[in-house]
Amino acid sequence: MLRPKKNLLLSEIGDFTRFVVRFFREAVRPRYEMQELIHQCFVIGYKSFSLVGLTAFIMGLVLTMQLRPSMVHYGVEAEIPAMVGIAIIREIGPVITALIFAGKIGSSIGAELGSMRVTEQIDAMEVSGTNPFKYLVVTRTLAATFMLPVLVVLADGIALYGSFLGVNIYEVLNFRLFYTQVIDNLAYYDVLPAFAKTFFFGFAVGIVGCYKGYYSTKGTEGVGRSANSAVVMSSVLIFILDLLAVQITELIWHTR
Amino acid sequence: MANRSIDNLKLGAFVLSGLVLLVLFLYLLSKNQSIFSSRFEVKAHFEHVNGLVAGNNVRVSGIVVGIVEEVRLVNDTLVEVTLGIDEAMRTVLRKNALATIGTDGLIGNRVVNLLPAEAAAAFIDAGDVLQGQKEVSTEEMLRTLDQTNSNVLAISQGLIQTIERINNSTQLANLLNDESLSRDLKAALSNLRLATAAASGTMTDVQTIVGGIRAGEGSVGALLRDTGLLPELQQAMRKLQSVENQADHLAQRMAALVQEVDGAVQDVSADLNQGQGPAHLLLKDSLSAARLQNSLGNLEAGTARFNENMEALKHNVLFRRYFKKQARQKN
Repeated sequence: MLRPKKNLLLSEIGDFTRFVVRFFREAVRPRYEMQELIHQCFVIGYKSFSLVGLTAFIMGLVLTMQLRPSMVHYGVEAEIPAMVGIAIIREIGPVITALIFAGKIGSSIGAELGSMRVTEQIDAMEVSGTNPFKYLVVTRTLAATFMLPVLVVLADGIALYGSFLGVNIYEVLNFRLFYTQVIDNLAYYDVLPAFAKTFFFGFAVGIVGCYKGYYSTKGTEGVGRSANSAVVMSSVLIFILDLLAVQITELIWHTR
Repeated sequence: MANRSIDNLKLGAFVLSGLVLLVLFLYLLSKNQSIFSSRFEVKAHFEHVNGLVAGNNVRVSGIVVGIVEEVRLVNDTLVEVTLGIDEAMRTVLRKNALATIGTDGLIGNRVVNLLPAEAAAAFIDAGDVLQGQKEVSTEEMLRTLDQTNSNVLAISQGLIQTIERINNSTQLANLLNDESLSRDLKAALSNLRLATAAASGTMTDVQTIVGGIRAGEGSVGALLRDTGLLPELQQAMRKLQSVENQADHLAQRMAALVQEVDGAVQDVSADLNQGQGPAHLLLKDSLSAARLQNSLGNLEAGTARFNENMEALKHNVLFRRYFKKQARQKN
């Protein structure tokens, strides 16, 4: 576990790539830590739900209320459900949820693994025969990868409900018409790419948190730095992945 | 470890609810887009498709029944559009349906509208070719507008000439400058105003009357508005008719009677004139009249004497008792 000097962005990227490759190698190799995986799923997924749900609800409500003046200006307030639906499903649901997720989970993984690293628990694990990478990194990353999509789907539903309430602040709109308008203006190519990219977001948050924590240095100060940089890097990665996702989606659905 | 299993339970519920929501969402979408419902293909030929692309909706009477599968240019004046129509439409659409290209809203997506033709035809089948109706394109509209523009130009030129002619005309100027004309006009107008006022008053009166009639006031109103009057009137008319009939009958009988009487009178007068019977003697013979008078005088004198005799009789001894008794009984 010798650490190369990382004074350059390029070497950081190289390190990270190697870390990712190692993750895949370790993930497919047998002896799966199922118990730990499920426990991490609970900690990462279930325990984030209340936070994500709250933000999603507020997001849907606020988005609707913020959009309303412009829509009224153009005389298309009837299109608010359609517009909010597309915005939430395609972009805001996945991205906002992933960012909240990064803030909560990325930092906690970074801090947890970082403190384990600086207190030499990881080294102790290695000595005692447990594969720390498998036990700590693979389980957390996989849990993040699989839990974020679930969170995003639930968040989309909650945000749409918030949006429904937001519409009903100003006018009376029954739920049936609202959901008909939302569904009418959505297609599979709105939902499926948006759903697919959340796996990548989740993976990014998990792997970056683990990477930053796993290679934490310089004692307790390093733990804080790990947590902080994990959040920053995973947030940036989310946006980069989002950009890639929209381009790939355009590419696929327009060459049809 | 018990704590772990409760955690797992919560996790299971969490993941399951997420999956259920996702599946529900995808199901609603698929239901809406009818991705799993089977379709059959028909083709439609157009001259111009106005930007129709694959994926646009196909509508019948405003309801989405399918999508545009393919838009293909066959040659320089023919575009073949392949439409995927829901199976359920097999028993709704006809072979001779007309395909038109419209817009969803003012600036929305293109849609293919299928319109039923008036003539009867068999139900539609896969592979049928529908006739596309030529839509009015913006270019055509602009071309028509161009024509309209040149027409407007010609009209405005004519108008200019006319106005110039009016401007140059001295007669019109004279007419306009004539003061007496305006005076006359003013007088005429004031007369007209008076007449109008009078007419207005008259109209008000008429209105009042008509209003009264409408409300059923007065006999005319009753006549016009009272619905109960009509049957009564009819009944009265019927009675009147029967009375008339009776009167007719009576008159006939009276005529017969008069004739009879007439005949009888003629007989009598003939008898009288021809001197037969006592009536003739009585009426026509002056001598007998004198004699009759004489007889009547004698009769009077005789009656007076008889009265005297009777009075004497009352006082006779033989009859006095009887008369006294009679007088007592009377009292």
